[in-house]
Amino acid sequence: MLRIDSLSITLGEFSVRDVSLEIQPNEYFIILGPTGAGKTVLLETIAGIHTPDSGKIFLCNREITSIEPRLRNIGMVYQDYMLFPHLTVQQNITFGLNQREVPKDEQSTMVDEICALLEITHLVGRYPGSLSGGEQQRVALARALVLKPEVLLLDEPMSALDRRTRERMRTELSRIRKLTGTTIVQITHHFDDVFAIADRIAIMREGRIVQVGETAEVFLHPADTFVAEFLGIGNIIRGTSSRAGYVTVITPETGPVFYASSRVSGDVVAALHAEDVIVSVAPFASSARNCLYGTVLEIIAFGSTIRVIIDVGFPLTALLTRESCHELHIEPGSRVYATFKATAVHVIPVNLE
Amino acid sequence: MKRFSLILTYLVLVGISAVLLGLVTYSPLPDLASSFASPEIQFAIVLSLVTSFASTAICIVIAIPVAYALARFDFFGKRIANLALTLPLTLPPLVAGIALLLFFGTTPWGKALEQAGFMVIFTPLGIIVAEVFVNIPYMIRILRSAFSTINPRYEYVAKTLGCTDTGAFFRVTLPMARSGLLAGTVITWSKAMGEFGAVLMVAGATTMRTETLPIALYLNISTGDLDLAVAAATILILISLVTLCAVEYFDKGVNVF
Repeated sequence: MLRIDSLSITLGEFSVRDVSLEIQPNEYFIILGPTGAGKTVLLETIAGIHTPDSGKIFLCNREITSIEPRLRNIGMVYQDYMLFPHLTVQQNITFGLNQREVPKDEQSTMVDEICALLEITHLVGRYPGSLSGGEQQRVALARALVLKPEVLLLDEPMSALDRRTRERMRTELSRIRKLTGTTIVQITHHFDDVFAIADRIAIMREGRIVQVGETAEVFLHPADTFVAEFLGIGNIIRGTSSRAGYVTVITPETGPVFYASSRVSGDVVAALHAEDVIVSVAPFASSARNCLYGTVLEIIAFGSTIRVIIDVGFPLTALLTRESCHELHIEPGSRVYATFKATAVHVIPVNLE
Repeated sequence: MKRFSLILTYLVLVGISAVLLGLVTYSPLPDLASSFASPEIQFAIVLSLVTSFASTAICIVIAIPVAYALARFDFFGKRIANLALTLPLTLPPLVAGIALLLFFGTTPWGKALEQAGFMVIFTPLGIIVAEVFVNIPYMIRILRSAFSTINPRYEYVAKTLGCTDTGAFFRVTLPMARSGLLAGTVITWSKAMGEFGAVLMVAGATTMRTETLPIALYLNISTGDLDLAVAAATILILISLVTLCAVEYFDKGVNVF
């Protein structure tokens, strides 16, 4: 288990402020945050590159705060892989084994194993400069994993890869995690990484962890406006909330009221995923509490899906497949109904700071 | 315009080649060979080689950590250090020489060194001191630019893979700065071989004692012994040629001149 206890460090313009985290063994933990949030500094401090200004780090109940990086048994893979250009792939992978003075015959078995696992056996004689991004990524992973680290730290591992390689790499990483049992801590600003592989996520902003939890939990219940906006939830509506019997009524700044299931009252932000909004040309009876009538403002193609923005008094975004949009004959100016469940509305209290 | 600039380029090329070839072919080959065999030129060759190798080695040993500090760390007085370490580059070697002469000849600490057996004035040791003083800024500059192009994260990764700070430097950063180090070494060495002004001031021009190749050239031309002067010059030209080729070969983005 990796435990970080009120860690603070400032390095130039980047800082980490009072971060506490507990990461379980064999967990895939993702730290999500915008550029400049201090994610890399946090990772490097865990690895032991920087000494924290205050706070402690424990690995398997052993304090490692002031232990040299080489004695921590924590592996690190950077965004740009940082393969040593003057060494072959083989020499890059054996670099750590040589430092630990592992006998040569054991080395070759270990290298063969890790190369087979990452499917890079055919690359061992080449220099990093001649490899593609995906191949370099695998070599960098092999170089770290061959030492069987307790924790593997990944700094934006997918961001330099093209989309297809990225998707492959994601499946690969969760496979590796299952096979090796390594705890993985990854930092990213890409949500797809999170949905696909993370067990738990933490959201980081300006050096602070603003929310930690299971992936679904964080997406379904963002702790504040920043998290909700950052997570890219389609609809964030400001208004006031008041209790009315068993339900909560949200009164937006403009437009009609709608229902939510929440105990929060006062000034709020209501978050609603675009995929939770159902669009129809006629009203229909359902258990959904909210059915708003409006005009289609705009239709935006978004990969295989389409975002439809409907003016129901306030702009509401719905996510549709191309097929259903086509079948419903929706175009700008169409009059449509937008239906969503009260339980799909996440109500976030507004802190008046 | 194209024709004009091409013609001028060829003229300059022919001009430089004619001047240098004129020097190299001045003495007939047998005369040149006998000049090379003369004890004075042989002494000058050996002295030049010994002092230049020694001063280059000293430059490398000092410049590597200094250049690394300038490239990697922020410290008090860094800007001034950068400036002061670069100044000898633009200083005429004669001025550097006279400054060294005054330092070792007149200041109390210079005299203290002299008393302790570190005899610099008018000795072969003075040649090494003068060469180091004049050349170390080149070495530092070349290495600094080589180190600063290397991302420090290479060292970070090396440390997570089991290296100490020093280990990471010697196994990763220094090998990656290889071409800068080679280019710097070759340039420092060839400048040391050709150093005249500073050496003349500090070590003097004593025949068969502090007589390096450039000093031999100077002494023989002043006594009218043209053959020996030409022999010394020929060797210096060959060294320049080799240096240039070596730098062209090693130099990968290390802009020196």
